[in-house]
Amino acid sequence: FRFKDSLAEDLRRADLVISHAGAGSCLETLEEGKPLIVVTNEKLMDNHQLELAKQLHRDGHVLYCNCSTLVETLQSMDLSTLKPYPPGQPEKFALFLDKVVGFQ
Amino acid sequence: TGGHTTEILRLLSCLSESYSPRHYIFADSDKMSEAKIRSFEQKRAETFSNSQFTLDRIPRSREVRQSWTSSVITTLYSLLYSLPLTYRLKPDLILCNGPGTCVPVCISALLLGLLGIKRAIIVYVESICRVETLSLSGKILYYFSDYFIVQWPDLKEKYPKSVYLGRIV
Repeated sequence: FRFKDSLAEDLRRADLVISHAGAGSCLETLEEGKPLIVVTNEKLMDNHQLELAKQLHRDGHVLYCNCSTLVETLQSMDLSTLKPYPPGQPEKFALFLDKVVGFQ
Repeated sequence: TGGHTTEILRLLSCLSESYSPRHYIFADSDKMSEAKIRSFEQKRAETFSNSQFTLDRIPRSREVRQSWTSSVITTLYSLLYSLPLTYRLKPDLILCNGPGTCVPVCISALLLGLLGIKRAIIVYVESICRVETLSLSGKILYYFSDYFIVQWPDLKEKYPKSVYLGRIV
């Protein structure tokens, strides 16, 4: 897997995704509408990398566990509790920037 | 780099063609951004006929977790490249979102402004990954940018001068 150009195709075919807490992985998965379990390793990771995963969990978009609790999570998970992830809105940025620059 | 490039291209996705020409500046060590940018611009050219853009590389200012003192030196080295580049491009608007690469570019723009050569509007958008804390680039540019945008309410509270538009990528 390591050297595949893009996981997009695999992602589309998946029913469940288990991933590390990298932002790209999390957001790509959520935007495809796939259920996601984020596995963190607090010893290896930078505090800031966890911020997004934690927030997504707080907002009910992902399940969250670490390596030792993964099996238990898989056994007891209820994916129906996950809420769909509304996509970001770059249009809002465009509107803001137009005002700033004077292109109204 | 990577995530930053993806985010910035999303930010650009809804901008009108008045934001042209677009000059992309990224780190010399970055292997993937060029392809992503070209792909984005190619798609854009399908809708807007006169799409113009350029690509420039400058030395990477800082490696992840590089020490503070050596970061100052590597940033100064990047500045040697970013100053003549920014002087040549004379941008009206600088849009950046956090990689170390943006710091020397913004410093260059500020210098050009102070010298009366060209005043650019600096807009900084902190990454969506930053929910509770700012990146190092963010901490620096919070004071030097004209508009500092955050994507989570916690940061808006901690940094009151910032702009909060919700999630924009």
